[in-house]
Amino acid sequence: MATTESIQKAYINYVLTEGQQPKSVYVFAKKNKMPEDEFYRYFGSFDAIEQFIWADLANRTLTEIKTQEVWGQYSAREKALSFFYSFFELLKSSRSFAVYSVKKQPKGFTTPAIFTGLKTAFENFADEILKEGIESTELSDRKFLSKRYKDALWVQFGFVLHFWINDNSAGFEKTDEAIEKGVNVTFDLFQRSPIDNLFEYGKFLAQNSGLKETMGFGN
Amino acid sequence: MSDTKEQSSIPTSKVERSAKFVTTGFKVGGNYIKHYSKKLFNPDMDRSELNEDNAADIYQSLSELKGSALKVAQMLSMDKNLLPQAYVDKFTQSQYNAPPLSGPLIIQTFKKYFGKSPAQIYDQFNIKSSNAASIGQVHQAELNGKKLAVKIQYPGVGDSISSDLKLVKPFAFRLLGMSEKELDVYMREVEERLLEETDYELEVRRSIEFSNACANLNNIVFPKYYPELSGRRIITMDWLEGKHLREFLATNPSQELRNKIGQALWDFYNFQQHELRAVHADPHPGNFMITADEKLGVIDFGCIKEMPNDFYYPFFSLTSTNLFDNKEETIKAFRKLEMILPNDTPAQVEFYYTIYKQMISLFAKPYIADTFDFSKTGFFDELFGFGEKISKMPEFKQARGVKHFIYVNRTNFGLYNILHELKAQVKTDTYKPHVVERFEVDAN
Repeated sequence: MATTESIQKAYINYVLTEGQQPKSVYVFAKKNKMPEDEFYRYFGSFDAIEQFIWADLANRTLTEIKTQEVWGQYSAREKALSFFYSFFELLKSSRSFAVYSVKKQPKGFTTPAIFTGLKTAFENFADEILKEGIESTELSDRKFLSKRYKDALWVQFGFVLHFWINDNSAGFEKTDEAIEKGVNVTFDLFQRSPIDNLFEYGKFLAQNSGLKETMGFGN
Repeated sequence: MSDTKEQSSIPTSKVERSAKFVTTGFKVGGNYIKHYSKKLFNPDMDRSELNEDNAADIYQSLSELKGSALKVAQMLSMDKNLLPQAYVDKFTQSQYNAPPLSGPLIIQTFKKYFGKSPAQIYDQFNIKSSNAASIGQVHQAELNGKKLAVKIQYPGVGDSISSDLKLVKPFAFRLLGMSEKELDVYMREVEERLLEETDYELEVRRSIEFSNACANLNNIVFPKYYPELSGRRIITMDWLEGKHLREFLATNPSQELRNKIGQALWDFYNFQQHELRAVHADPHPGNFMITADEKLGVIDFGCIKEMPNDFYYPFFSLTSTNLFDNKEETIKAFRKLEMILPNDTPAQVEFYYTIYKQMISLFAKPYIADTFDFSKTGFFDELFGFGEKISKMPEFKQARGVKHFIYVNRTNFGLYNILHELKAQVKTDTYKPHVVERFEVDAN
């Protein structure tokens, strides 16, 4: 009797030894001695398996970090850092699969289908910590912009993923650096910054531009 | 009141120095932004322009430093050795300015090297660092009722040292108008030491070796190291309670106490130099503590300089008057130390003989009598004055002296400086140099 796990395992095993997806579900099912419809009870396609694996990684990361003792004391910034570090630590154990899966995606700006589940999980998490951050005034609430914060984090996540795929430093130390520096910069931008103050000042000047006349210069 | 002036001037220049590096950091960051914004429009652009920009800015800040902070190193270091010295300071200093590691990265580092979080290893672990070490940061922890210091290294420091040196090297050669070959031997020495400092496993082994070897010295304490709680990026040791040198001096200690600490420091260094032939080569005031029971605590054995015999004997024999009275043997020693080179003309030999003899007699002054009073500014004025004079001489534009001078000078002048700050009178005959009065003529 097949299970989600056994199909995942067999699939990973297949793609890593063959270097490509099976020709058809029929071939795959036959090779694993199960009827084809058994496969469809769990997954609609091979891509669905990959999608599930990626989403599962994110969910496992979230469970792990949220049960850490220090979690409650973390700021939004630290929560994001914690997610990045733990995700890539977990991903290390399936690095070959991750490299295979990412590399076969066509280059482009749209999120590949296999990442949809992961993206949902990530965005829910990002939403949650960003809201917390804005409520605690750790992050700056900006009109229109603060709704896009989570997109910035997602882009960052994609960047780190590709960085990690090409990282050949011992223990992936370079990736640690990329996370530490990158996430910190992103959160620095989310915080109240001189730009906000400049904007405020500009607004003030615009609203009070009549001041010059009322103060009676040049009378 | 020149004494007070002398003291207050030291911290100021430190602040200025770190400020200098901050601006360099900004400039280098700016160079990257410039590079990437240009690259947006011209994707074929390579990094050579970026590297040149960076090197120019780094070099500029180095040469601005040359005058003030490195005067002491200038002394024996024959101008060109001084550049690597600037790198040493620059790189250790720039790492000082690194922002503290985030909590999640600290946990990640522990998980990577121990498979456990700090909370699982120690009874208590303070996630906020208590102070910065040269290439990492220090956290307070507790295990079985013992207070511990846990040093964590910044990720990627080793890589960045090598790549920064590679980046600046060719450019600096060109700016100085000297050959890469000439300087390379010094640069490699510096790179070697700097990379050793990033190897925490080595540091723990050496710390244990050195603290055992020096265990019998008076008034010196070392923290206990815990190899089982240490790894490539983490060192666990006992937390030493005490005051740093400056805090200690601020309490107006008695002359007797200052002598006691100064003596401990002198014995510690000279025992290592003359008995162990390997020395803690980073006499930075931050690496010492003065404990409540009036002892000198030594932390941080990251930088160790080993002295081979073919350097040790010629150099330290020159500190004895017997050898110095024999001109022929003295020149032989200078040749061994490459202070006089095979191609020098007889006139040059005479010139360098005179100058180096003056220089080394000056350096060896504390060794000549049984005691030496480091509080006297006269000796230091003489040292600085001589350094100044040499740095202006065209004869010293060329690099001279074996590579070992870089760290041995740094160590001894660092030691002299701390003793001067302490205003200590020290018995200098406790661990004397081993000298020989004749040198074998080399086959080559």
